Amino acid sequence: MNIAGYKIKLEKKSSFSGLEAAVLSILAVVVALFLVGFIFLQAGVDPAKGYAEIFSYAFINSFGVPLTLNRAIFLLLCTFAFILPMRAGLWNIGMAGQLYAGALAAFGVAFAFGARTNPDVPAGIVLPLMILAAMAGGGLMGLIPGLLKGKFNTNEIVVTMMLNFIAFWVTAHMIKEGGPFMGSGGEGEGFKLPASLQPGLFLGMPFTIWFALGLTALLQFVFTKTRIGYEIRAFGASPAAARYAGVDPFKVSVLVFVAGGVIAGLAGYHYFATVPGLFKIPKNYGDFGDLAFYGIICGLISQGNPLASIPLAVLFGGLTSGGRFVQGKLQLGFGIDYAMLGVLMIILVAFQFFFRYRVVFKKEALP
Amino acid sequence: MWEFWVRSLNASTIFTVAALGEIIGQRAGIMNVGVEGAMLFGATISFIVAKVTGNYLLGFLAGIAVGALIGLLHAFFSVTLGGDQVVNGMGIWILGFGLTAYIGYPYTGPLGLPRLPAIAGLSPFFLASLALAAGIWFFLFKTHPGLKLRSVGENPSVAEVSGINVVRTRYASVMFSGALMGFAGSIYALDYNPVWNYNFLMGWGFIALALVFFSMWNPFLLLGGSILFGALWQVSLNPEALLPNIFSRYIWRTFPFVITIIVLVLMSTKWFSSRWGAARPEALGLPYEK
Repeated sequence: MNIAGYKIKLEKKSSFSGLEAAVLSILAVVVALFLVGFIFLQAGVDPAKGYAEIFSYAFINSFGVPLTLNRAIFLLLCTFAFILPMRAGLWNIGMAGQLYAGALAAFGVAFAFGARTNPDVPAGIVLPLMILAAMAGGGLMGLIPGLLKGKFNTNEIVVTMMLNFIAFWVTAHMIKEGGPFMGSGGEGEGFKLPASLQPGLFLGMPFTIWFALGLTALLQFVFTKTRIGYEIRAFGASPAAARYAGVDPFKVSVLVFVAGGVIAGLAGYHYFATVPGLFKIPKNYGDFGDLAFYGIICGLISQGNPLASIPLAVLFGGLTSGGRFVQGKLQLGFGIDYAMLGVLMIILVAFQFFFRYRVVFKKEALP
Repeated sequence: MWEFWVRSLNASTIFTVAALGEIIGQRAGIMNVGVEGAMLFGATISFIVAKVTGNYLLGFLAGIAVGALIGLLHAFFSVTLGGDQVVNGMGIWILGFGLTAYIGYPYTGPLGLPRLPAIAGLSPFFLASLALAAGIWFFLFKTHPGLKLRSVGENPSVAEVSGINVVRTRYASVMFSGALMGFAGSIYALDYNPVWNYNFLMGWGFIALALVFFSMWNPFLLLGGSILFGALWQVSLNPEALLPNIFSRYIWRTFPFVITIIVLVLMSTKWFSSRWGAARPEALGLPYEK
């Protein structure tokens, strides 16, 4: 193609630098947010004002900031649940199902100790057990696609999606219409944890932030410094070549899905059992499952890099909480955060191209 | 009992039409895992157009058109840009999920038009889906253009050498495939369940995708699978009809999803794939570069 005397050529990239990846990622987010601006325009809101409202609520407002942080922790955990399989070339879109399973298991422990009716439970035992149960519940949910992928090469996208729906309805069964976890209010929501099982805040944040940060360091270490991390990456780059190098595909797929599920289970525990004002599986638990899909966005932008996922989780935690807020304040339609999710995703898909090709401008020699 | 079967067949129509679309695309070598997204677009746009204009025909046309546009987008990503088709398909799904949740929200609720005519409860679209399956089977296996389309999905380089335009064939197939998905969504939103609600397809697109693997890329086997799943869906909605008082209605709702996983696992066993696996288009999912 020729434009104004320049020859434009595409060159295939064999690799790209970290800086290049960062610039492209930021560019992708900017382009997507620019396009979402048209949605603001269409709704009769000045995009600059809309974004100003979103950002000031999400990152300055004293009501908004804790909300942003809670969501950021949640999204970071969901992102890790997504990128573990992603680094192995597998798709985990079952974070929603895994986090419901984790939440159900955690509340199941509280239920077993009678916390639904009796406020005096031995918190020192029950609280750690709840966390372990959340991890086990999410992990079991992840074990299913991992086993099926490893043993039969069953399509993990369809399996994890089906499990999302299964877990969604099982949760409904547990908390609605006389289900065992139903709260006393009769509003179709789960029972509330007694005060003894409501962990306090640490510097204004749920203690689960330490899980998120610890996991960031752990995953960074695993991916870069350990043999299993190498095996996961090798399998993701080329399953056939990895098999020659002695990587066991069964082991890798079970491991990444179980570990992903464990982390998603923690995300469920985090939002439903440590965030002030909740401490129960709410009626609209499905919204949190939908929010988990932002983990896919963070994972794709960060290219599976745990450390790079942190700013992204904070950004999207803020954009979604702020989006919800402006929707009410500026009388936008419901679901600006959903629209943003869709636009971001498709722009990322388009940007894949730039990760593989470099556009080269060359001055054409005049004839 | 008649009622049950009629509802089942009506539900199967939507699986059939969407999965037929996916078969066409996959036969040409392009996998679209975003069936659900294309269907959500078709369903939401057709619903809005029909509700605003009061005209069913315009609704269906809009649903089909938006489906074809989504197909065009997928073809652009997968054929021209040559990206990973799974990533592109996931993009289509999340775009559909996110954007339709926003676009459709002001139209939440029933359609408010007189129901489309039915023959003793059976939707005319069921008959149309039978004809469509037969037509697509005939096209794929008995006509010259159908042979060309399949050759593009099996071995694009050889097809190109023998004078077939691979890029054009894939574009046309994927757009037609998207149009059928949009149509399937329109049938759902305008005929089967004319009440808009956010994400109201509840995974039907993913079941349709699973049905394509189940069908061995054959429209007639697909038809059988769709009717089976249509019936399962009805059992899960009205368990009292067959098996009263075993589970709560919520547990029954998990039923079709559990069966989908079981069927998918059976299909991916060695026993099954060694028997049937040859039907898989050779070049499925691979970008083609000259």
